[in-house]
Amino acid sequence: MSKKILRFSRIWRVQHMLLMISVVLLIISGFSLKYSHTTLGKILIFLEGGFEARGSLHRLSAFLLIFTTLFHLFYIIFTKEGREEFKALVIRKKDLSDFVKMIMYDLGKAKERPQFDRYSYKEKFQYWVISFFILIMIFSGIILMFHNYFFGVIPKWLIDLSFSFHSWTATLVIIFLVLWHFYIVHLSPENFPWNSSFWDGYVDEEWLKENHYLEYKRIKEK
Amino acid sequence: MKILIFLIFLQIPEQKDRRCLICHGKKDFGIVEEGRFKSLFVDYKELKNSVHRKFTCVQCHNDVRVIPHLKKPKKIHCLDCHFEGNVVGAPVDVRPEKYKESIHAKAKKEGKNSPDCYDCHGIHDVRSHEDTLSFIYRRNIPKTCGRCHKKELEEYVISIHYKAIKKGILEAAVCNDCHREHDVLPPEDPRSSLNPRNVVRTCEKCHGNPEIMKKTGVSVKQVEAFKESFHGIALEFGVLKAANCASCHDYHKVLPSTDPDSPIHPKNLAKTCGKCHPNANENVAKGKVHVIPHERDAGIVYYVYNFFKIFTIVVIAGLIVHIILDLFGQYRRKKYGSEE
Repeated sequence: MSKKILRFSRIWRVQHMLLMISVVLLIISGFSLKYSHTTLGKILIFLEGGFEARGSLHRLSAFLLIFTTLFHLFYIIFTKEGREEFKALVIRKKDLSDFVKMIMYDLGKAKERPQFDRYSYKEKFQYWVISFFILIMIFSGIILMFHNYFFGVIPKWLIDLSFSFHSWTATLVIIFLVLWHFYIVHLSPENFPWNSSFWDGYVDEEWLKENHYLEYKRIKEK
Repeated sequence: MKILIFLIFLQIPEQKDRRCLICHGKKDFGIVEEGRFKSLFVDYKELKNSVHRKFTCVQCHNDVRVIPHLKKPKKIHCLDCHFEGNVVGAPVDVRPEKYKESIHAKAKKEGKNSPDCYDCHGIHDVRSHEDTLSFIYRRNIPKTCGRCHKKELEEYVISIHYKAIKKGILEAAVCNDCHREHDVLPPEDPRSSLNPRNVVRTCEKCHGNPEIMKKTGVSVKQVEAFKESFHGIALEFGVLKAANCASCHDYHKVLPSTDPDSPIHPKNLAKTCGKCHPNANENVAKGKVHVIPHERDAGIVYYVYNFFKIFTIVVIAGLIVHIILDLFGQYRRKKYGSEE
């Protein structure tokens, strides 16, 4: 057995877990409304305990997501570990060139794959896209959740617009989770069937060397 | 031969009824019952103009065997003939037996002043609903129901529905289009066409019908848009506190949004929405109600909808291309080994 290296701290894993639970609940309770005219939607609403319970579940999970977001902001601003993780997630010029190099390699135009540090361009892209989507979801969601208050504050078309944004961004979140996140952490040959580091934080030394060579080198040098 | 001609002559209903009309044809014919004069005059012309013109008196009043009759004939009821499976060919296509379930029949049973068949259809002068003189001709129905429901009639005659009727658009809603004709039920009854659960379907009968709406210039899309809205979906799942058509449009006094008295006139919207959403103010009038995002008149929502539609397709395509490229790379790595 190859040696294991701790890649994700417990607090990082807890954030991922909270995010996962809230987003999955939000997707189930949200899409059962969007597709309430279908049989699947009707079954889901039944399982959620009826139409109004569905709404409560959705709002409850929304509060969990908002809590997770605030927790994360606190983490990246006020903790040393969080600040370092955030720095590692900032998109740099290297990520663009890595992306181009990787495409060249995939197409057979380059002999070598780019070497990645702690987070590859794939992971950074994922982080920023999901962050952006979550911000849209939270803002439009708050307008919808407190529409009774906002009725007296913003024009009706803005509420309709929030609804449109909320619904479409949710669709994009699912597409992104399935076609990007699930692919890179579950279905891609290097991680199939899953990368268990989200659970215990550990990865194989071999895996790290293969996929994040610069990080591996840094750890070894220490 | 003469006898035969006489017998054939006797088969003509008018000849058969002649004996009845000796008494009942007199305008002042009647009896004193419970201290009051009760007219027993029958306007024979009315019967001859009715849908029952082919019948003779005794075909309905069939307990009259000897004329003059000494006993008061039994009361006859329309449902004695108009029931499913009757052999005399009495039409039942509008399900008259449903009357028995109605609030009218229930009230009548309790001894209240409530209509029976003849109160709306007439007694001897029962005319077809296609007959312009009929009490149940579409144009006359409001007046017929309004004989008892005076307040409702007063409100109804102001409505856009009645205006359309007066203009000759006879498809416009009259009482029975919403309340149904025979099984009139109070809105609290879940079977009622006016129960919050069923209101949308009731309005949709006409407002979802392009042929009728073409005549009135009202969009058929309104119902579709409502059903897709949060109110519509909530109602579908039995959340009856959600707004239905009548919550905002009113019911007897339905008026178009251009009418300043209408609850959906932009100036009145704040009050109308405010019935359920207490914070509503003039902001609710800024924008469209019954929005269908993929229709151009949805305004900015339409453009956002289309942007997202295209964007989503691009994202799906991009992500799939990325997966395919990545799989190519993985394959190359397997084949040629890691470069380390």
